Amino acid sequence: MPESAEPQNDFSLEASMPEGAAPLESIVCTEELHRRPWRPPDFEKENRALVALVTVLSDSASTIFQTLAETILDVTQCDSSGLSLLTPDGGKRFYWPAIAGMWAPHVGGGTPRNFGPCGDVLDRNCTMLFRHFERRYPYLMPVVPAAEECLLVPFYVDGKAVGTIWGIMHSDRRKFDSEDERIMSSLGQFASVAYRTVASIDNLKVQIAAREKAEAELRERATGLEAKVRRLIDANLMGMFTWNIEGRIVEANETFLKIVQWGREDVASADMRWTDLTPEEWRARDELAVADLKATGTMQPYQKEYFRKDGSRVPVLVGAALFEEGGNDGVAFALDLSEQKRAEETLQRVEQQARSIVDSALDAVVAMDADGIIADWNRQSEEIFGWTRSEALGRRMSETIIPMRYRLSHQSGLRQFFKTGQGAVLNRRIEITALRRDGTEFPVELTITPLKTGDAWTFSAFVRDISERKRAEEKLRESELNLRNTQAELAHMARVMTMGELTASIAHEVNQPLSAIIASGDSCSAWLSNDPPNLDKARAAASRMIQAATQASEIVQRLRALFKKTTSMTASVDMNAVIEETISLIHHETERNKIFLRTELHPGVPSVSGDRVQLQQVILNLAMNGIESIAGLDHEPKRLMIRSTLSNTGELLVSVEDTGLGIEVEHADRLFAPFFTTKPQGIGMGLPICRSIIEAHGGRLWAAKNEPRGAVFHFALPVAAPSE
Amino acid sequence: MSEPDCIVFMVDDDPLVRDSVADLLDSAGFEVRTFASATEFVQSKRPDLSACLILDVELPGLNGLDLQAELANSGVEMPIIFLTGHGDIPMSVRAMKRGAVEFLTKPFRKQELLDAVQEALRRDSEGRLQRSETSELKKRLRTLTPREHQVLALVVTGLLNKQIAGELGTTEETIKVHRGRVMSKMGAGSLADLVRMAEKLKISAEPGILPK
Repeated sequence: MPESAEPQNDFSLEASMPEGAAPLESIVCTEELHRRPWRPPDFEKENRALVALVTVLSDSASTIFQTLAETILDVTQCDSSGLSLLTPDGGKRFYWPAIAGMWAPHVGGGTPRNFGPCGDVLDRNCTMLFRHFERRYPYLMPVVPAAEECLLVPFYVDGKAVGTIWGIMHSDRRKFDSEDERIMSSLGQFASVAYRTVASIDNLKVQIAAREKAEAELRERATGLEAKVRRLIDANLMGMFTWNIEGRIVEANETFLKIVQWGREDVASADMRWTDLTPEEWRARDELAVADLKATGTMQPYQKEYFRKDGSRVPVLVGAALFEEGGNDGVAFALDLSEQKRAEETLQRVEQQARSIVDSALDAVVAMDADGIIADWNRQSEEIFGWTRSEALGRRMSETIIPMRYRLSHQSGLRQFFKTGQGAVLNRRIEITALRRDGTEFPVELTITPLKTGDAWTFSAFVRDISERKRAEEKLRESELNLRNTQAELAHMARVMTMGELTASIAHEVNQPLSAIIASGDSCSAWLSNDPPNLDKARAAASRMIQAATQASEIVQRLRALFKKTTSMTASVDMNAVIEETISLIHHETERNKIFLRTELHPGVPSVSGDRVQLQQVILNLAMNGIESIAGLDHEPKRLMIRSTLSNTGELLVSVEDTGLGIEVEHADRLFAPFFTTKPQGIGMGLPICRSIIEAHGGRLWAAKNEPRGAVFHFALPVAAPSE
Repeated sequence: MSEPDCIVFMVDDDPLVRDSVADLLDSAGFEVRTFASATEFVQSKRPDLSACLILDVELPGLNGLDLQAELANSGVEMPIIFLTGHGDIPMSVRAMKRGAVEFLTKPFRKQELLDAVQEALRRDSEGRLQRSETSELKKRLRTLTPREHQVLALVVTGLLNKQIAGELGTTEETIKVHRGRVMSKMGAGSLADLVRMAEKLKISAEPGILPK
């Protein structure tokens, strides 16, 4: 028996048993072998068997295990016999490479290392006899017929347990005895020899197969590589050539020849050498590459230049490999980098240009990264904020140019942007206050554009110092205000003058209710002094007085507005109402002059936004001009017509038509010029002021001929927005 | 106080003024009729009473002065008191020349108006009386023969019978007879009487202008 091996179970056998399984002792009955009657040894038979086994071992080793199993069956007269071998995966399982007898159909099966009697035998390192081992090892239950008794013998190779041989009785027709134990032990030793032989034969086979396979692969690789290189060269996807280490170019494809502008005949005549193609300053780099090639068989691609045939240079990326390690020949590729170089140069130039544009920009250009750090700062930024580029870069933007009181909202705006992708100040022109280095604040106009590059956000801001503009705007506002005041004063003056022409009408207008008041007052007191007083009539007179007084006060109010010197006031104005009111001022003028006054007021005209008094002044002025133009004439009809309509373009149109003298051709272009007048008392400011009033309201005023006679003055005003 | 058989007409387009003035006259005991326009007044049927007209100058359409002219043209001799909101001098001169009683500028005092109305009615009564005398004389004049008519025209110029006979180519005796008949037909008590009558009838010596 070889030296016993250490037990190999990695975990407790008992622990791995299913619950309720029979304990090991109840199925082992090895000691019974020596109590049983035993048969005498049949050495002749034994020798015959061993000779047969050895013959088989030398002649056809591959069947030795099967022969061994059959030999066990023969010499022990059992029902089934066989070998169990530990698997090569570290002995996790037993498998059955050979079985003879009733269990022969189970050849190739097996059990896990610790779930069968084989494991016990290796653990105890001795021959063991089992009775109905399936009671402990349910794994073996399906293996039929069941084993009444099983005799197992371990065997070893180089001191390591490798398996067992066994015999099984399926009935109690015969029981194993000590003679069987002896024979099995000696067969166990033989099994060890057989195992070693088989293993060495298998090992040799494996070695041969591996060598053959490597050779085939090498062959395959050689032919495959050559073909691939060939295809690659011919595909002309890039410049390729084959070469030798002495400097010759053996073969080159069209693309390579095109890159260096050499001809195929140059390659054929062996004139073309890669060493000659290389400019002086690249030789040292080439030598490094060649050293690399010699050491590793390949070289890392690198950028260099080649001479073209005409002596000019072409930038290339080259890479090369030797066909075989330690050889002299190889293949190389070359990529024309001219385009890429040009693109790089262009890109560089564009970047430079962009930089110089940014630097020469009149606006400050400031960029900020997502953390709020200044990432760009052009020359103008230096100028307006007082920080140099190198000082500003890396500083926190908010602390550099944002006044303290706005910093919080800047931060919350930034947070808001990262949360929602929206920013109130982004992508539009805003005016805010900025901070200079010296702590002073100034107004700026600013646009901020968020830009995503990869995953990172950058915010670019164009900032313009608008202090000057603000001052200019302020001045402009002032002068506009002055202008408006002047215009208002002028308008007032003209108004007063127009009113002067209306004194008769105004007197009439006021005296009318006054006379009613006085007359009614008189009659009222007369009715009261009657005896008895006539109270009904007195009351009626008093009510007429109130009515007339109300009328008078309304008239005075209207007149006051016209006489008052007001700055212009903008409100929503109902032009029809203004026209009606103007009519009440002039109707005595028209009556006095026997002029038929008519109005055609479009009922649906919308309101305009403007100064009511000034607009009334325009209508009054135009109407008075019309009246004066008609007044001195004898012809009929004497008619003044005032219309309001809505134009096709949505403007409010007011026209004042008269049948008067009309506009003389030679005056047509001077009508609206200041100080031009055809009236003896006129100062020539009426129409220019009317025009300036209408234009200040965003409208137009113009004159035309009326048919068949007279003049018509039109003005158009934009209609107020509905919300106003 | 005014006579109960007279009436005041008033034309003004302003209802407040119209009603107030009418009421004032009413309280003073006058009978008043009002009109809103000249045309309304012209077309109205007016009672044959002593009357006057209070007329606003500034009327729409036909104005006060126009109405005055038109009334004169159609022989309506009604005294007119003008009212105006803004009387100017040329306008009032024109109105007065055409026989207006008064030209009142609004607002006017009560007494001014009442005086003017009294005066106007007085003038109208007088006018009416004169107009009825004249029409009696005209009736008498129409009873004269053409020869007597000629004699009358020459007598009132102050000619003697003998001169008249020479003028007409007849005898002094014949003229004497004609003269006696004229005196009696005309109801004249004396030559002075006859001369006054001839004046009223606007008879002059020019043969072409004798009343027919």
